[in-house]
Amino acid sequence: MNIAVCVKQVPDTETKVRISDDKKSIVEDDINFILNPYDEFAVEEALKLREAHGGDVTIISLGPDRVTAAIRSALAMGANKAIHITTESIPTDPGVTADALAEVLKEGAYDLIFTGKQAIDDDHAQMAALLGEKMGIPAISVIVKLEIDGSHVKGEREVDGAHEIIECDMPCVIGAQRGLNEPRYASLKGIMAAKRVQIEQKSVSLGENRLTVAEFNYPPQKEAGKIVGDSADAVPELLRLLHEEAKVI
Amino acid sequence: MSSSKPSFSKALFSGLILEDLIFPFPKMDKEEKENMALIRESFEKFAADKIDSHKIDEDAEIPQEVIDGLKELGFFGLNTSEMFDGFGLSATGWTKALEFVCNADPSVSLLLGAHQSIGIKALHLFGTEEQKKKYLPRLVTGEMIGAFCLTEPGAGSDAAGIKTKAVRDEKNGYYVLNGSKLWITNGSLADFFTVFAKEEMISDSGDPHEKITAFIVTRDMGGVSNGQPENKMGIKGSATAAVFFDDVKVPLDHVIGERGRGFKVAMEVLNSGRLGLAGGAVGGLKFIFKHALEHIAQRKQFRKHLNEFEAIKQKVAQITIDLYAAESMVYLTTALYDRGDVDYSLESAMCKIVATEVAWRGANECMQMAGGIGYMKEYPYERIVRDSRINLIFEGTNEILRLFIALAGVQERGEYLKKIGKALRDPIKGFGLLTDFASDWVKDKITTERIREVHPSLTKAKTDFENWAKNLRFTSERVLMEHGRDIIYREMITMRLANAATDLFAMIATISRVDTRINDVGAEKAAEEIKICNLFCEQAWRRVRRNLLMVDKNDDQQMKEVAEFISGKKVYPFETE
Repeated sequence: MNIAVCVKQVPDTETKVRISDDKKSIVEDDINFILNPYDEFAVEEALKLREAHGGDVTIISLGPDRVTAAIRSALAMGANKAIHITTESIPTDPGVTADALAEVLKEGAYDLIFTGKQAIDDDHAQMAALLGEKMGIPAISVIVKLEIDGSHVKGEREVDGAHEIIECDMPCVIGAQRGLNEPRYASLKGIMAAKRVQIEQKSVSLGENRLTVAEFNYPPQKEAGKIVGDSADAVPELLRLLHEEAKVI
Repeated sequence: MSSSKPSFSKALFSGLILEDLIFPFPKMDKEEKENMALIRESFEKFAADKIDSHKIDEDAEIPQEVIDGLKELGFFGLNTSEMFDGFGLSATGWTKALEFVCNADPSVSLLLGAHQSIGIKALHLFGTEEQKKKYLPRLVTGEMIGAFCLTEPGAGSDAAGIKTKAVRDEKNGYYVLNGSKLWITNGSLADFFTVFAKEEMISDSGDPHEKITAFIVTRDMGGVSNGQPENKMGIKGSATAAVFFDDVKVPLDHVIGERGRGFKVAMEVLNSGRLGLAGGAVGGLKFIFKHALEHIAQRKQFRKHLNEFEAIKQKVAQITIDLYAAESMVYLTTALYDRGDVDYSLESAMCKIVATEVAWRGANECMQMAGGIGYMKEYPYERIVRDSRINLIFEGTNEILRLFIALAGVQERGEYLKKIGKALRDPIKGFGLLTDFASDWVKDKITTERIREVHPSLTKAKTDFENWAKNLRFTSERVLMEHGRDIIYREMITMRLANAATDLFAMIATISRVDTRINDVGAEKAAEEIKICNLFCEQAWRRVRRNLLMVDKNDDQQMKEVAEFISGKKVYPFETE
């Protein structure tokens, strides 16, 4: 089975975000970048399928030099091939990224293409659908369970209050959701094997961003919590505050 | 015990500054740095999911699931060479690994540290190819866990007093080993033991006498057993137990290194082991410091956050300065180890002393900043305080290490003076001696009393270092002339020399680190580090001055008299009316 996993490098969830002076971007200087957590589920699922069916798992990522670290993290988990699409920065428009990824994916004749259901930095959650569209193949996202039978794919996806089961044939795109599996920790053996994998570099010409960032702003400061009392006597006051101040009831 | 390799600190006692060993501050190889980032990322995920420090402390045990997980990750082979399927980390990489493991849990760090820093280290350093091929593949996977067995009920700091005996039976091809070892880390988990025992050997003059030899002993040889894990103050998850050897038949080819040279084996192992311990101590402090910094940013009293009070600022700054200096010393010394052509034994002892004391004081201050909650089991402060305490005691008490530093230092100075004496009597023949005493290695290097120019912002610190380095030499000379061989009994004085030398090494390590940093990123970006370096050096040279002045002018005699009086009474005898 020939599997591709598209991954994104994102700031660590513990990052204290600093906005640049012109408010158009995030200051990257002190950021610790990691492999997007949802992409880890995607990598794990691809590795499990390779273990069951054989074949290759190719990691594909787009961005500046720093993204090779995320590619290495995915390789260290056990993937055996990698492509780095080199660009100066990561586009703000997921459509532009999808065009570039699709161009490279088309050359690879992949049976399955995985992504995480969304990146935790810009939270667009569009890549699986966009890739399906650009490549003219089915896409199923927010997948919590995946069954493969020959070239037939059965995916269980989370929808509001229920699970939806969708079937299609390969090739297709799968967007991985938490719960799909338990990603493995990269072992030292994996890290050593990852060192030996040559990351293939590709350059593409990126399209125009149709989506641009107008402005970044910090969320408003939260006020400290209030304790109005510890007995039933406090209920009227609590109700009043919830109604008048918090305006939730 | 003097080594043919150059030693920065031994030379320092002679007033020489081997600056090539110090400047520029070493950097980790780029590839290893990338690998470390991956190892760290993987470990931290594992730790966040699986390692519950509070529970490990409460249960006094590391769960089997965690040990198995570490085996699967490959963490038992971090510093074994790739030839034997290990990960081949340098001492620098290994020490950084212990730092982040200790950040997650000190007991786990000891499990891995006792295995790799000391348990199987003698095999790495002195083992034959056959021995390595036989055991390393099983040791890197953690199938066998290693332990280092030196301490005995009657032999702690005085390692020469060990009683464990090995009787050589040439005919049957084995030694018969008998004895017991005390407080062995991993003692109840290990299957592979590096054991130090005495065997009778015939000296050159034909007299029989006992010498220490190092042995590989495995549990499956039979006759190996262990006591219950000890109930300890801290590092409770670490399996510390007595190990007993009862007529264990150890094949003759299981000697590590040369027969009768076991003491040297033990000292070499401990030299490197201490560096790992220092790294762990630094990691433990970083962990609890982070907690304290969060706390003082949240907690308000008198309508101010705690971190706005000067009394708190004092503590935060002091921990930062000391931590920065300790870290600089540790990673300068791991690089000295990694280059392989340097005697780093004094520096390694200095790192162990400074890092463990900085971590202990720091943990106490973090607890103090946390106030009442610092004392509660719910929070990690009291555990880190308990866990940190042992570091000042094991792998050589800090007192013994101070004596070692000073005596090794003045010994070098003494030999130099002897040679100078000869050289002055016969200047032409003696000329060579004057140029190559430190070792052949230094012959073509710059050895001076002054060091290279550093960034102007560090000039004062550098000049203070040079001046007090010179004073260390003068003072050491005076001490030698006054006390001669009796110097070994003048511990109050030698402690001061050791403290002065240690502070000087800490100063130069910190200066080098910051100077190198300025070269890399410019003075503006290094502004905070320049400040930290200058603050540390300012505090350090004052301590050096005090220590050196007190070599000549002190109350040692009265102190000894008071001590002897009270020790004679065996109880504090005074009471107010």
